[in-house]
Amino acid sequence: MRMRVATMGLTMVVGMLLVIQGGCSKKSIQSGGDAQSSERGMAKSGGPAPSAMGSTGSTGNLDAPSATFPDLSLSSKPEDPETGGLRGFDSVSGGKAPSEERLGGGGTMLAKVEPSESTARQIEEIRREQAKEQAASAEAGLRDVFFGYDSWTITEDGRQSLTQDAQWIKANAGALVKIEGHCDERGTLAYNLVLGEKRAKAVRNYLVELGIGANRLSVVSYGKERPFCNERNESCYQQNRRGHVVVRSK
Amino acid sequence: MNRVIIGLMIALCVVVGAGLFGILDSRATDVFLEATRPDFQKIPIGVFGFQNGGGPEWLGGRLEEVLKADLQRSLVFSLVDLPGIGVKAREVSTTDKAVFKQAAENGVSVLVWGKSGQKNGSKESELLMDGFVYDSGSDEVVGGKRYVGSTSVVRLMAHRFADELVFRYTGEPGIARTKIVYVAEHGNARELFVMDYDGYEPKQITADGFLNLMPRWSPDRRFIVFTAYRSRNTQDIDILELATGKRWTLVTMAGLNITPALSPDGNFLAFASSQDGNSEIYKLDTRTKTPQRLTVNQGGDLSPTWSPTGREIAFTSDRGGAPQVFVMSADGSNVRRLTYEGDYNAAPAWSPRGNWIAYVCRTAQRLYKLCIVSPDGQKRVQVTTGPGIDDSPSWSPDGRHLTFSSTVDGKSHIYMVDTDGKNLERITFGGTHNSSPSWSPAL
Repeated sequence: MRMRVATMGLTMVVGMLLVIQGGCSKKSIQSGGDAQSSERGMAKSGGPAPSAMGSTGSTGNLDAPSATFPDLSLSSKPEDPETGGLRGFDSVSGGKAPSEERLGGGGTMLAKVEPSESTARQIEEIRREQAKEQAASAEAGLRDVFFGYDSWTITEDGRQSLTQDAQWIKANAGALVKIEGHCDERGTLAYNLVLGEKRAKAVRNYLVELGIGANRLSVVSYGKERPFCNERNESCYQQNRRGHVVVRSK
Repeated sequence: MNRVIIGLMIALCVVVGAGLFGILDSRATDVFLEATRPDFQKIPIGVFGFQNGGGPEWLGGRLEEVLKADLQRSLVFSLVDLPGIGVKAREVSTTDKAVFKQAAENGVSVLVWGKSGQKNGSKESELLMDGFVYDSGSDEVVGGKRYVGSTSVVRLMAHRFADELVFRYTGEPGIARTKIVYVAEHGNARELFVMDYDGYEPKQITADGFLNLMPRWSPDRRFIVFTAYRSRNTQDIDILELATGKRWTLVTMAGLNITPALSPDGNFLAFASSQDGNSEIYKLDTRTKTPQRLTVNQGGDLSPTWSPTGREIAFTSDRGGAPQVFVMSADGSNVRRLTYEGDYNAAPAWSPRGNWIAYVCRTAQRLYKLCIVSPDGQKRVQVTTGPGIDDSPSWSPDGRHLTFSSTVDGKSHIYMVDTDGKNLERITFGGTHNSSPSWSPAL
């Protein structure tokens, strides 16, 4: 709530500055002064807007569940006139017209999400970071580990790859390494996330066995959500059952 | 003073009474009576068109098409081909006794007709739909509805009318106004979208640029909980308020934080986290914000789904080596395995009627299809067949349909199917990858 007030204050100050400067178009003055749009602006900045991944807003403590999220109890449900219950049929005897029911909103009200400039920046940054990681990993000559169907056991081939990777990691004491767990498209989305994590952790554990400090290794699972190959055959599936070893950019 | 004490005692009795009644009541609803019993006779319904009265040319046809599709999907009605039984489509009025008689004699129980057009005297382009209902059982015109709104609510008019009909004949609200939230590939990212239950009006609700996965509705339909990769390296469980787009983080424990599911009363969020090494199921009290770990074992536990009473949770566990569906009490006690057929059973979804748990089953041919099993494990039925990887089953609030993703047509799309495997219907056509559908509760 305090945030909201602060944001409102900020919106007002900015709006006033714009008016005083007179350097903005009529349209932007309107949107600054128009109650509806400034309210929408508040709503957006009241919590992190859908487009603002990574911006914190009211997300609270990142180490513990947020203490600020709304009441989710069903009993707190407010009456929503747009989505409200059915009213039954009106009598039309004697040629009477049924009473009018005005519909709007389309059922569940949905806030519009417009990919904003900050989203575009974000997406660009993700792309840049990924490219950077890729380049660094290629330069380091890091090798990935491949797994059998449904399996998270590291094969002999995998052990050889990791022995090489470990040499590089040891030689580059400042480098942080991330292991991404990936799966092929078979099976459920949810279980593949767990399977991907098992694969990533199997790789991490083997690297630790080879003498790498666990604090330099992080794991993340993408399940089957970020495949390397999109065809539906075993050679493609094989490519996607992977522990992807990358040099972390940050 | 005495009055106060008596008042308090009465209040206490009322509270205790209500509590007891609540317990008895929820026990009674543990397993719901099936409205989709095999011997359930669908109600024959005849739909005349909507006479066009000045609106856009497509209006009457659109209303009729949407209404008929809704009635068919309701599984409460069976559409009668009126011209086929000699009842000619023509202008009907509420006093058209001859038409009513003819329809009734040909086995039609309910007749529906209407008018559509521009609203008289409205400044802006407001449209209007009148719908009327005749019931042959009582031989009377039951009544009518009049809806008014912009072109953007034309489909909603027909949906609402369909739900009124279902409600009148079953006492249940119908599903024509329900929504489905799902994940769609958007550029290089996976974002959340909400669409009508029939696949129309998709609207994007996140724009993060990376991965948002496994969305689920809050029981009041106001929020979506989901897994968000806040950076490419960690994930949280977030909640989004649909009306405002506001977003909060609910869970940010170390490791995987996936498969969130709110309890039917909204008071608990069950989810899986691997903060203690392997994936375990936790329960977050949404009022006190305190998490509680429910499962303790070396295997991966995930995908919790609540029974409609909120007293039990089904989930996936690979504690025996391969993933299987288990059930436990909502406090983590009384764990028992539910599925025994096959070596891969996952992604359970408890029916809102309580009588089935849907899940992904791997068949003997190693195909990933949908199965349903009764909560006591006694009955098991395979719902979908044929090629394609089926995933993420989610129940319609009336318990008669499942929505799910499948690669049966190549790319992953969203489908719906009746619990007996009939009426398989694809509901997304655009996009390159649509997955993880979740059906909203009814209104």
